[in-house]
Amino acid sequence: MTTKANILVVDDEPQIAEMISASLQANGYSVSVVYDGEQAVRKIGSEKFDLAITDIQMPGMDGITALGEMKKLDPEVEVIIATGHGTMGTAIQSMRKGAFDYLHKPFEIKELLAVVEKALEKRKFNDITKAIFSTIKPEELLRVTLDSVTRILKAEESLLVLPDKDGKLRVAVSEGLDEESRLNSRLTLCERMMKRLDGGAKSFLLVDEPARDKTFSDLPGIGEIKCALFLPLMEENRPAGLISINRDQEGEYFTEADLQRAKIFGSLVNLALRNSNLYRQLQETQSQLIQAEKMSALGQLAGGLAHEINNPLSGILGLTQLVLESAKPDSQTYTDLKDIEKAVFRCKKIIVSLLSFARQEKTRLEPVSVNEVIEETLTLCARQMELKSVRIDRNFAQGLPLVTGDFQQLMQIFLNLFSNARDAMPDGGELTVETNLLKDPAGRELVMSTVSDTGAGIKPEILDRIFDPFFTTKPVGKGTGLGLSVCLGIIHRHNGTIKAHSRPGGGTTFTISLPVS
Amino acid sequence: MGKSILIIDDEDLVRNYVRRALASRGWEISEANNGATALDLLRRKDFDAVICDLKMPDMRGEEVIKKIRDMLPGMKIIAITGSVSNITTPLVPGVELEGFLIKPFGIDEIRDLIEKVTGSEPPAERP
Repeated sequence: MTTKANILVVDDEPQIAEMISASLQANGYSVSVVYDGEQAVRKIGSEKFDLAITDIQMPGMDGITALGEMKKLDPEVEVIIATGHGTMGTAIQSMRKGAFDYLHKPFEIKELLAVVEKALEKRKFNDITKAIFSTIKPEELLRVTLDSVTRILKAEESLLVLPDKDGKLRVAVSEGLDEESRLNSRLTLCERMMKRLDGGAKSFLLVDEPARDKTFSDLPGIGEIKCALFLPLMEENRPAGLISINRDQEGEYFTEADLQRAKIFGSLVNLALRNSNLYRQLQETQSQLIQAEKMSALGQLAGGLAHEINNPLSGILGLTQLVLESAKPDSQTYTDLKDIEKAVFRCKKIIVSLLSFARQEKTRLEPVSVNEVIEETLTLCARQMELKSVRIDRNFAQGLPLVTGDFQQLMQIFLNLFSNARDAMPDGGELTVETNLLKDPAGRELVMSTVSDTGAGIKPEILDRIFDPFFTTKPVGKGTGLGLSVCLGIIHRHNGTIKAHSRPGGGTTFTISLPVS
Repeated sequence: MGKSILIIDDEDLVRNYVRRALASRGWEISEANNGATALDLLRRKDFDAVICDLKMPDMRGEEVIKKIRDMLPGMKIIAITGSVSNITTPLVPGVELEGFLIKPFGIDEIRDLIEKVTGSEPPAERP
């Protein structure tokens, strides 16, 4: 811990002030002394104190008034009132004005130190609460949380576990557990604790000497833990994760006061985590909005571009056909003109695809053929794939029923998957696109499409993050990290699912299922 | 005797090939590269059909078409445009067109459409 607290002593009798100051200093506190209320208020205004101990009866500004003024200047400062003329009246008055506690003169040093310590602990708790609630980034929040809880509960080791996308518990942050084997053993401890909880809502769970508990006794290194405390992290009234706090000193059991702190702390953390989750959702929504903005800008651009290109293209087509009418059918000129004509039709097709992709109006749900969506999208990327020596292998089921969807938005998904696949195969490869009809366990019909590449694959440790907004493996400036998260958003609006399977070196497969309309 | 057609487009390239495609089949072609000139021509001369681009500087194609419809209610009007990829809403709200083509279009497409709307060969039929 850093230096001990900074305390201001206020008393008009120098002897008493010095006595209090000396005994506090002897206990390691840093102390300043002033002799009246005005000085005290000035001091609080110019320096940072954790605690003030003030007399009531003083010439000039009295202690109660000074208390009020000090609290105005620094609401976080704790104040203890000490008085020799104490009546219940002044005590109540001072508590109302925000004093932490009061002492009757004459008091014993021991008594003083006990009250000071309590006041400082409250102060520390307030600081931690503030730290937790002012941290909104999830990773940082978890770190701050675990740091604080380990400090408050004076534990040697601790860890915070949360479920990943597949519901498996993972260590988010830990303290005092650097070896991987110990960490894994503690994770197993948490997993078993979660099973014991079985969805029940508890504010904390305590296991003294877990090595004696059948559930845990076989865990490696369990004997190191003398006392294990668990704080469930709740999500929608069910425990989703745990904070596990372990003490390893013989006889250092958690006290009633510790448990009380743990309980309060647990509810604080749960509140903060919920805040942080809401914040994350807000960010996701914002990023989707940004993407929508980009799409609408692209839509306008594409509209203007199409007009600019279609006019000369129309001229090329018309003039080519006019010359064709007078060219000899078996001449080189005729063949060349035919090639130009074909090229124009290819351009036309690309512009039509670009327009239908970029025209992002509101989600317009209508019966859509998934095969057609994929075909249109492939037209748009065919040339790029060719340039990167990517072969396209189509394997479409014929006679598929229609799905309810927005043609353009579905195109956006496939365009994203195709360009990711292309980027994953810089030296060429194969892009396989398949469609199928299948039934889900509830008997509903689904159109399933799979997009597979033969690229480098995705490492297992990042596979569950690829749909997170702003997550990207591409170099800076190459990818926004929004592509797949927008895809996920679109898929959800279509009541569908999207999943990724990958093996490093073995390519990646995305599977999209959409309910039949 | 061939029918008389007015083509309105600010794009020389487009007017050029449309004129030649139709003229070679015996239609008589006049050209205008903006709405005002076109309306002026329509006041002075009889035409069987008008081909009008929608996106032009100065007077927009939609406005030109509305004015023609007001001035000559029986005129056959064909709109051409390069700004859309498919037609989901009426090209010119409030005006029923005899036909339209999306650029780029070929010479046979415009010939067939003109034949259809002017009834030069098959009987007139609305698209």
